[in-house]
Amino acid sequence: MHSPMEQFEIKRLLHLNLFGIDASFTNSSTWMIIAVILATAVFVWGMRERALVPGRLQSVAELGYEFIAGMVRDNVGDGGKKYFPFILTLFIFILFCNVLGMVPYSFTPTSHIVVTFAMAAFVFVGVTIIGFAKHGLHFLSLFVPKGVPFALLLLLVPIEIISYFIRPFSLSIRLFANMLAGHTMLKVFGGFVVMLGIIGGWAPLAFIVVFTGLELLIAFLQAYVFAILTCLYLNDAVHLH
Amino acid sequence: MRKPVHAAFAALAVLVASGSAMAKEGSGGMPQLDYHSFAPQLVWLAIAFLALYLVMSRLAVPAISDTLAKRQGKIQGDLDAAEKANEETRALVQAYEKRMADSREDARKVVRDRSEADSAAAAARLAALHDKLNQQIGEAEKRIAKQRDDVMAGLETMAKDIGQEVYAKLAGQPADQAALSAKIAAAAKGGR
Repeated sequence: MHSPMEQFEIKRLLHLNLFGIDASFTNSSTWMIIAVILATAVFVWGMRERALVPGRLQSVAELGYEFIAGMVRDNVGDGGKKYFPFILTLFIFILFCNVLGMVPYSFTPTSHIVVTFAMAAFVFVGVTIIGFAKHGLHFLSLFVPKGVPFALLLLLVPIEIISYFIRPFSLSIRLFANMLAGHTMLKVFGGFVVMLGIIGGWAPLAFIVVFTGLELLIAFLQAYVFAILTCLYLNDAVHLH
Repeated sequence: MRKPVHAAFAALAVLVASGSAMAKEGSGGMPQLDYHSFAPQLVWLAIAFLALYLVMSRLAVPAISDTLAKRQGKIQGDLDAAEKANEETRALVQAYEKRMADSREDARKVVRDRSEADSAAAAARLAALHDKLNQQIGEAEKRIAKQRDDVMAGLETMAKDIGQEVYAKLAGQPADQAALSAKIAAAAKGGR
Protein backbone atom coordinates (compact mmCIF):
# COMPACT_ATOMS: atom_id res chain seq x y z
CA MET A 1 0.00 0.00 0.00
CA HIS A 2 1.21 3.47 -0.84
CA SER A 3 1.82 5.87 1.99
CA PRO A 4 -0.88 8.57 2.25
CA MET A 5 1.97 11.09 2.36
CA GLU A 6 3.31 10.05 -1.02
CA GLN A 7 0.90 12.42 -2.75
CA PHE A 8 2.74 15.37 -1.20
CA GLU A 9 6.12 14.44 -2.61
CA ILE A 10 7.80 17.09 -4.70
CA LYS A 11 8.89 15.62 -8.02
CA ARG A 12 11.35 17.55 -10.11
CA LEU A 13 10.18 17.47 -13.68
CA LEU A 14 12.85 19.77 -15.06
CA HIS A 15 16.11 20.43 -13.31
CA LEU A 16 16.87 24.13 -13.33
CA ASN A 17 19.45 26.19 -11.52
CA LEU A 18 19.02 29.91 -11.06
CA PHE A 19 22.15 31.69 -9.76
CA GLY A 20 23.03 28.71 -7.65
CA ILE A 21 19.48 28.27 -6.36
CA ASP A 22 17.58 25.08 -7.12
CA ALA A 23 14.73 26.40 -9.25
CA SER A 24 13.64 23.08 -10.67
CA PHE A 25 10.23 22.93 -12.29
CA THR A 26 8.31 20.52 -10.10
CA ASN A 27 4.83 19.04 -9.90
CA SER A 28 4.05 21.83 -7.41
CA SER A 29 5.20 24.44 -9.93
CA THR A 30 3.06 22.81 -12.61
CA TRP A 31 -0.12 23.19 -10.59
CA MET A 32 0.78 26.72 -9.50
CA ILE A 33 1.14 27.65 -13.16
CA ILE A 34 -2.08 25.86 -14.07
CA ALA A 35 -3.83 27.80 -11.29
CA VAL A 36 -2.43 31.08 -12.66
CA ILE A 37 -3.46 30.19 -16.20
CA LEU A 38 -7.00 29.21 -15.18
CA ALA A 39 -7.38 32.31 -13.01
CA THR A 40 -6.16 34.42 -15.92
CA ALA A 41 -8.66 32.66 -18.18
CA VAL A 42 -11.54 33.48 -15.86
CA PHE A 43 -10.50 37.04 -15.07
CA VAL A 44 -9.06 38.22 -18.38
CA TRP A 45 -10.53 36.00 -21.07
CA GLY A 46 -13.84 35.90 -19.18
CA MET A 47 -13.89 39.70 -19.06
CA ARG A 48 -12.94 40.16 -22.74
CA GLU A 49 -16.38 41.45 -23.76
CA ARG A 50 -16.80 43.77 -20.77
CA ALA A 51 -20.50 43.34 -21.34
CA LEU A 52 -23.04 45.46 -19.48
CA VAL A 53 -25.08 42.31 -19.02
CA PRO A 54 -22.45 39.74 -18.09
CA GLY A 55 -22.21 36.22 -19.45
CA ARG A 56 -21.44 33.20 -17.30
CA LEU A 57 -17.67 33.51 -17.03
CA GLN A 58 -17.83 37.30 -16.67
CA SER A 59 -20.32 36.83 -13.83
CA VAL A 60 -17.83 34.54 -12.10
CA ALA A 61 -15.03 37.08 -12.51
CA GLU A 62 -17.26 39.93 -11.25
CA LEU A 63 -18.48 37.79 -8.38
CA GLY A 64 -14.91 37.11 -7.25
CA TYR A 65 -14.01 40.77 -7.65
CA GLU A 66 -17.01 42.04 -5.71
CA PHE A 67 -16.62 39.39 -3.04
CA ILE A 68 -13.07 40.51 -2.25
CA ALA A 69 -13.83 44.19 -2.88
CA GLY A 70 -16.62 43.97 -0.30
CA MET A 71 -14.34 42.15 2.11
CA VAL A 72 -11.63 44.80 1.80
CA ARG A 73 -14.17 47.63 2.05
CA ASP A 74 -15.85 46.17 5.14
CA ASN A 75 -12.66 45.19 6.97
CA VAL A 76 -10.13 47.81 5.96
CA GLY A 77 -12.22 50.68 4.61
CA ASP A 78 -11.13 53.15 1.97
CA GLY A 79 -7.51 52.93 3.13
CA GLY A 80 -7.42 49.36 1.84
CA LYS A 81 -8.15 50.17 -1.80
CA LYS A 82 -4.45 50.23 -2.67
CA TYR A 83 -4.01 46.68 -1.41
CA PHE A 84 -7.12 45.29 -3.06
CA PRO A 85 -5.33 43.77 -6.10
CA PHE A 86 -2.92 42.00 -3.78
CA ILE A 87 -5.66 40.53 -1.61
CA LEU A 88 -7.64 39.54 -4.69
CA THR A 89 -4.55 37.79 -6.07
CA LEU A 90 -3.94 36.10 -2.74
CA PHE A 91 -7.51 34.83 -2.50
CA ILE A 92 -7.71 33.68 -6.12
CA PHE A 93 -4.30 32.02 -6.03
CA ILE A 94 -5.05 30.07 -2.84
CA LEU A 95 -8.57 29.25 -3.99
CA PHE A 96 -7.42 27.91 -7.36
CA CYS A 97 -4.52 25.95 -5.81
CA ASN A 98 -6.86 24.45 -3.21
CA VAL A 99 -9.66 23.58 -5.62
CA LEU A 100 -7.33 22.24 -8.32
CA GLY A 101 -5.81 20.06 -5.60
CA MET A 102 -9.15 18.25 -5.49
CA VAL A 103 -8.65 17.01 -9.05
CA PRO A 104 -7.48 13.38 -8.88
CA TYR A 105 -3.74 12.91 -9.53
CA SER A 106 -3.17 16.64 -9.20
CA PHE A 107 -0.92 18.31 -6.67
CA THR A 108 -1.89 20.85 -4.04
CA PRO A 109 0.84 23.49 -3.70
CA THR A 110 -0.89 24.89 -0.60
CA SER A 111 -0.43 21.58 1.20
CA HIS A 112 3.22 22.51 1.71
CA ILE A 113 4.07 24.56 4.77
CA VAL A 114 6.86 26.36 2.95
CA VAL A 115 4.42 27.77 0.39
CA THR A 116 1.79 28.85 2.89
CA PHE A 117 4.41 30.18 5.25
CA ALA A 118 6.02 32.20 2.49
CA MET A 119 2.68 33.84 1.74
CA ALA A 120 1.86 34.37 5.40
CA ALA A 121 5.33 35.79 6.10
CA PHE A 122 5.01 38.10 3.10
CA VAL A 123 1.68 39.34 4.44
CA PHE A 124 3.09 39.69 7.95
CA VAL A 125 6.20 41.59 6.86
CA GLY A 126 4.22 43.71 4.42
CA VAL A 127 1.60 44.62 7.00
CA THR A 128 4.29 45.48 9.55
CA ILE A 129 6.10 47.71 7.04
CA ILE A 130 2.81 49.42 6.11
CA GLY A 131 2.10 49.98 9.81
CA PHE A 132 5.45 51.57 10.51
CA ALA A 133 5.38 53.58 7.28
CA LYS A 134 1.92 54.95 8.11
CA HIS A 135 2.29 55.59 11.83
CA GLY A 136 6.01 55.49 12.57
CA LEU A 137 6.82 54.34 16.08
CA HIS A 138 3.23 55.10 17.03
CA PHE A 139 2.46 51.76 15.38
CA LEU A 140 3.79 50.13 18.55
CA SER A 141 0.66 51.38 20.35
CA LEU A 142 -0.99 48.41 18.62
CA PHE A 143 0.49 46.34 21.43
CA VAL A 144 -1.04 48.52 24.15
CA PRO A 145 -4.78 47.94 24.54
CA LYS A 146 -6.71 51.10 25.34
CA GLY A 147 -8.42 51.75 28.70
CA VAL A 148 -6.55 49.05 30.62
CA PRO A 149 -5.02 49.69 34.06
CA PHE A 150 -1.24 49.84 34.13
CA ALA A 151 -0.84 46.68 36.21
CA LEU A 152 -2.75 44.68 33.61
CA LEU A 153 -0.68 46.20 30.83
CA LEU A 154 2.36 44.41 32.19
CA LEU A 155 0.53 41.22 31.43
CA LEU A 156 -1.32 42.25 28.29
CA VAL A 157 1.49 43.85 26.31
CA PRO A 158 3.59 40.67 26.15
CA ILE A 159 0.48 38.72 25.18
CA GLU A 160 -0.30 41.21 22.43
CA ILE A 161 3.26 41.05 21.16
CA ILE A 162 3.26 37.25 21.15
CA SER A 163 -0.10 37.13 19.43
CA TYR A 164 1.20 39.55 16.83
CA PHE A 165 4.28 37.49 16.05
CA ILE A 166 2.29 34.28 16.04
CA ARG A 167 0.17 35.56 13.17
CA PRO A 168 2.32 34.27 10.28
CA PHE A 169 2.47 30.84 11.89
CA SER A 170 -1.21 30.53 12.63
CA LEU A 171 -2.06 31.89 9.20
CA SER A 172 0.23 29.48 7.34
CA ILE A 173 -0.33 26.41 9.49
CA ARG A 174 -4.12 26.77 9.31
CA LEU A 175 -4.09 26.57 5.52
CA PHE A 176 -1.36 23.97 5.28
CA ALA A 177 -2.84 21.70 7.95
CA ASN A 178 -6.31 21.85 6.44
CA MET A 179 -5.01 20.86 3.03
CA LEU A 180 -2.70 18.20 4.44
CA ALA A 181 -5.34 16.64 6.68
CA GLY A 182 -8.05 16.65 4.03
CA HIS A 183 -5.92 15.09 1.33
CA THR A 184 -4.38 12.60 3.72
CA MET A 185 -7.79 11.54 4.94
CA LEU A 186 -9.06 11.09 1.38
CA LYS A 187 -6.02 8.98 0.62
CA VAL A 188 -6.40 6.90 3.79
CA PHE A 189 -10.03 6.18 3.01
CA GLY A 190 -9.06 5.42 -0.55
CA GLY A 191 -6.71 2.83 0.91
CA PHE A 192 -9.59 1.45 2.99
CA VAL A 193 -11.65 1.02 -0.17
CA VAL A 194 -8.88 -1.11 -1.68
CA MET A 195 -8.29 -3.05 1.54
CA LEU A 196 -11.95 -3.89 2.13
CA GLY A 197 -12.47 -4.73 -1.52
CA ILE A 198 -15.72 -5.11 -3.35
CA ILE A 199 -17.59 -6.38 -0.29
CA GLY A 200 -16.83 -3.78 2.38
CA GLY A 201 -15.27 -1.03 0.31
CA TRP A 202 -18.53 0.76 -0.35
CA ALA A 203 -18.70 2.38 3.08
CA PRO A 204 -15.35 4.23 2.83
CA LEU A 205 -16.14 5.01 -0.81
CA ALA A 206 -19.42 6.67 0.21
CA PHE A 207 -17.52 8.55 2.88
CA ILE A 208 -15.00 9.74 0.28
CA VAL A 209 -17.83 11.08 -1.87
CA VAL A 210 -19.29 13.05 1.02
CA PHE A 211 -15.89 14.13 2.27
CA THR A 212 -14.89 15.38 -1.19
CA GLY A 213 -17.79 17.81 -0.97
CA LEU A 214 -16.64 18.93 2.46
CA GLU A 215 -13.08 19.30 1.13
CA LEU A 216 -14.33 21.56 -1.67
CA LEU A 217 -16.01 23.69 0.98
CA ILE A 218 -12.79 23.74 3.00
CA ALA A 219 -10.79 24.62 -0.12
CA PHE A 220 -12.94 27.73 -0.52
CA LEU A 221 -13.20 28.43 3.19
CA GLN A 222 -9.44 28.38 3.78
CA ALA A 223 -8.81 30.75 0.90
CA TYR A 224 -11.51 33.00 2.37
CA VAL A 225 -10.03 32.78 5.87
CA PHE A 226 -6.55 33.58 4.58
CA ALA A 227 -7.85 36.60 2.69
CA ILE A 228 -10.02 37.92 5.50
CA LEU A 229 -7.28 37.54 8.11
CA THR A 230 -4.95 39.42 5.78
CA CYS A 231 -7.61 42.15 5.63
CA LEU A 232 -7.87 42.26 9.41
CA TYR A 233 -4.09 42.49 9.82
CA LEU A 234 -4.03 45.19 7.18
CA ASN A 235 -6.77 47.02 9.04
CA ASP A 236 -4.64 46.95 12.19
CA ALA A 237 -1.74 48.45 10.26
CA VAL A 238 -3.84 51.10 8.52
CA HIS A 239 -6.08 52.13 11.42
CA LEU A 240 -4.31 50.93 14.58
CA HIS A 241 -7.46 49.18 15.90
CA MET B 1 -20.03 15.43 12.92
CA ARG B 2 -18.93 12.35 14.86
CA LYS B 3 -17.77 10.39 11.87
CA PRO B 4 -15.31 12.98 10.54
CA VAL B 5 -13.85 13.36 14.03
CA HIS B 6 -13.25 9.63 14.31
CA ALA B 7 -11.92 9.61 10.80
CA ALA B 8 -9.56 12.43 11.66
CA PHE B 9 -8.13 10.42 14.52
CA ALA B 10 -7.78 7.43 12.25
CA ALA B 11 -6.02 9.54 9.69
CA LEU B 12 -3.72 10.96 12.31
CA ALA B 13 -2.83 7.48 13.48
CA VAL B 14 -2.12 6.32 9.95
CA LEU B 15 -0.13 9.48 9.33
CA VAL B 16 2.05 8.99 12.37
CA ALA B 17 2.51 5.32 11.58
CA SER B 18 3.45 5.92 7.98
CA GLY B 19 5.70 8.81 8.96
CA SER B 20 7.64 6.64 11.37
CA ALA B 21 7.68 3.79 8.87
CA MET B 22 9.11 6.10 6.22
CA ALA B 23 11.61 7.44 8.68
CA LYS B 24 12.80 3.88 9.26
CA GLU B 25 13.05 3.32 5.52
CA GLY B 26 15.13 6.48 5.38
CA SER B 27 12.96 8.29 2.84
CA GLY B 28 12.56 11.33 5.12
CA GLY B 29 9.02 11.26 6.55
CA MET B 30 6.75 14.13 5.61
CA PRO B 31 7.62 15.56 2.20
CA GLN B 32 6.68 18.94 3.64
CA LEU B 33 9.75 18.83 5.88
CA ASP B 34 12.21 18.01 3.12
CA TYR B 35 14.12 21.27 2.99
CA HIS B 36 15.70 20.35 -0.34
CA SER B 37 12.32 21.01 -1.95
CA PHE B 38 11.92 24.45 -0.37
CA ALA B 39 13.92 26.46 -2.88
CA PRO B 40 12.14 25.31 -6.06
CA GLN B 41 8.74 25.75 -4.40
CA LEU B 42 9.59 29.25 -3.24
CA VAL B 43 11.03 30.27 -6.59
CA TRP B 44 7.99 29.06 -8.47
CA LEU B 45 5.61 30.46 -5.87
CA ALA B 46 7.23 33.85 -6.40
CA ILE B 47 7.02 33.51 -10.19
CA ALA B 48 3.42 32.29 -10.21
CA PHE B 49 2.21 34.75 -7.61
CA LEU B 50 3.91 37.70 -9.25
CA ALA B 51 2.51 36.67 -12.64
CA LEU B 52 -0.99 36.41 -11.22
CA TYR B 53 -0.58 39.70 -9.38
CA LEU B 54 0.45 41.46 -12.58
CA VAL B 55 -2.42 39.90 -14.49
CA MET B 56 -4.88 40.88 -11.78
CA SER B 57 -3.67 44.41 -11.11
CA ARG B 58 -2.95 45.36 -14.74
CA LEU B 59 -5.69 43.56 -16.65
CA ALA B 60 -8.43 42.05 -14.54
CA VAL B 61 -9.05 44.72 -11.90
CA PRO B 62 -9.20 47.67 -14.36
CA ALA B 63 -11.40 45.66 -16.73
CA ILE B 64 -13.83 44.65 -14.00
CA SER B 65 -13.93 48.02 -12.26
CA ASP B 66 -14.48 49.74 -15.63
CA THR B 67 -17.30 47.37 -16.44
CA LEU B 68 -18.89 47.78 -13.03
CA ALA B 69 -18.57 51.58 -13.24
CA LYS B 70 -20.03 51.55 -16.74
CA ARG B 71 -22.93 49.39 -15.59
CA GLN B 72 -23.48 51.58 -12.54
CA GLY B 73 -23.40 54.67 -14.76
CA LYS B 74 -25.85 53.10 -17.20
CA ILE B 75 -28.22 52.12 -14.41
CA GLN B 76 -27.94 55.56 -12.80
CA GLY B 77 -28.49 57.25 -16.16
CA ASP B 78 -31.56 55.13 -16.82
CA LEU B 79 -32.88 55.85 -13.34
CA ASP B 80 -32.29 59.58 -13.85
CA ALA B 81 -34.03 59.49 -17.23
CA ALA B 82 -36.93 57.61 -15.69
CA GLU B 83 -37.11 60.11 -12.86
CA LYS B 84 -37.06 62.98 -15.34
CA ALA B 85 -39.75 61.39 -17.47
CA ASN B 86 -41.76 60.82 -14.34
CA GLU B 87 -41.43 64.47 -13.36
CA GLU B 88 -42.39 65.59 -16.85
CA THR B 89 -45.44 63.38 -16.71
CA ARG B 90 -46.35 64.79 -13.35
CA ALA B 91 -46.00 68.35 -14.69
CA LEU B 92 -48.14 67.43 -17.69
CA VAL B 93 -50.79 65.92 -15.46
CA GLN B 94 -50.71 69.02 -13.28
CA ALA B 95 -51.06 71.32 -16.30
CA TYR B 96 -53.91 69.16 -17.59
CA GLU B 97 -55.65 69.27 -14.25
CA LYS B 98 -55.23 73.03 -14.05
CA ARG B 99 -56.65 73.40 -17.56
CA MET B 100 -59.53 71.17 -16.59
CA ALA B 101 -60.24 73.19 -13.45
CA ASP B 102 -60.00 76.47 -15.38
CA SER B 103 -62.36 75.35 -18.10
CA ARG B 104 -64.76 73.96 -15.54
CA GLU B 105 -64.71 77.36 -13.79
CA ASP B 106 -65.18 79.12 -17.11
CA ALA B 107 -68.10 76.92 -18.01
CA ARG B 108 -69.71 77.53 -14.63
CA LYS B 109 -69.25 81.28 -15.09
CA VAL B 110 -70.80 81.21 -18.56
CA VAL B 111 -73.76 79.27 -17.28
CA ARG B 112 -74.21 81.63 -14.34
CA ASP B 113 -73.95 84.77 -16.48
CA ARG B 114 -76.31 83.30 -18.98
CA SER B 115 -78.92 82.33 -16.43
CA GLU B 116 -78.69 85.73 -14.74
CA ALA B 117 -79.24 87.49 -18.07
CA ASP B 118 -82.09 85.13 -18.86
CA SER B 119 -83.86 85.70 -15.57
CA ALA B 120 -83.45 89.49 -15.84
CA ALA B 121 -84.98 89.46 -19.32
CA ALA B 122 -87.80 87.24 -18.13
CA ALA B 123 -88.49 89.57 -15.21
CA ALA B 124 -88.53 92.54 -17.59
CA ARG B 125 -90.87 90.77 -19.95
CA LEU B 126 -93.08 89.77 -17.07
CA ALA B 127 -93.20 93.36 -15.80
CA ALA B 128 -94.05 94.63 -19.27
CA LEU B 129 -96.80 92.08 -19.61
CA HIS B 130 -98.07 92.98 -16.18
CA ASP B 131 -98.19 96.67 -17.08
CA LYS B 132 -99.93 95.94 -20.35
CA LEU B 133 -102.49 93.74 -18.61
CA ASN B 134 -103.05 96.36 -15.91
CA GLN B 135 -103.56 99.00 -18.60
CA GLN B 136 -106.00 96.78 -20.48
CA ILE B 137 -107.84 96.03 -17.26
CA GLY B 138 -108.02 99.78 -16.52
CA GLU B 139 -109.35 100.54 -20.00
CA ALA B 140 -111.86 97.77 -19.77
CA GLU B 141 -113.09 99.06 -16.41
CA LYS B 142 -113.42 102.59 -17.80
CA ARG B 143 -115.32 101.28 -20.78
CA ILE B 144 -117.60 99.25 -18.54
CA ALA B 145 -118.21 102.26 -16.28
CA LYS B 146 -119.04 104.46 -19.27
CA GLN B 147 -121.40 101.88 -20.68
CA ARG B 148 -123.09 101.56 -17.32
CA ASP B 149 -123.46 105.35 -17.08
CA ASP B 150 -124.88 105.41 -20.60
CA VAL B 151 -127.26 102.63 -19.72
CA MET B 152 -128.24 104.39 -16.51
CA ALA B 153 -128.72 107.71 -18.35
CA GLY B 154 -130.84 105.98 -21.00
CA LEU B 155 -132.79 104.26 -18.23
CA GLU B 156 -133.51 107.65 -16.53
CA THR B 157 -134.64 109.26 -19.76
CA MET B 158 -136.83 106.28 -20.48
CA ALA B 159 -138.21 106.33 -16.93
CA LYS B 160 -138.93 110.12 -17.23
CA ASP B 161 -140.73 109.62 -20.52
CA ILE B 162 -142.73 106.73 -19.14
CA GLY B 163 -143.46 108.70 -15.92
CA GLN B 164 -144.69 111.73 -17.94
CA GLU B 165 -146.90 109.65 -20.10
CA VAL B 166 -148.30 107.78 -17.10
CA TYR B 167 -148.87 111.04 -15.21
CA ALA B 168 -150.48 112.72 -18.19
CA LYS B 169 -152.83 109.80 -18.69
CA LEU B 170 -153.78 109.62 -14.98
CA ALA B 171 -153.92 113.34 -14.14
CA GLY B 172 -154.81 114.70 -17.57
CA GLN B 173 -152.28 117.36 -17.34
CA PRO B 174 -148.48 117.41 -18.03
CA ALA B 175 -146.34 116.57 -15.07
CA ASP B 176 -144.02 118.88 -13.33
CA GLN B 177 -140.80 118.18 -15.17
CA ALA B 178 -138.39 119.13 -12.38
CA ALA B 179 -140.17 117.15 -9.61
CA LEU B 180 -140.35 114.06 -11.83
CA SER B 181 -136.71 114.16 -12.71
CA ALA B 182 -135.78 114.44 -9.04
CA LYS B 183 -138.04 111.51 -8.13
CA ILE B 184 -136.55 109.30 -10.89
CA ALA B 185 -132.97 110.19 -9.99
CA ALA B 186 -133.69 109.25 -6.37
CA ALA B 187 -135.21 105.97 -7.44
CA ALA B 188 -132.29 105.22 -9.73
CA LYS B 189 -129.98 105.71 -6.78
CA GLY B 190 -131.86 103.00 -4.92
CA GLY B 191 -134.11 105.29 -2.87
CA ARG B 192 -137.87 105.36 -3.15
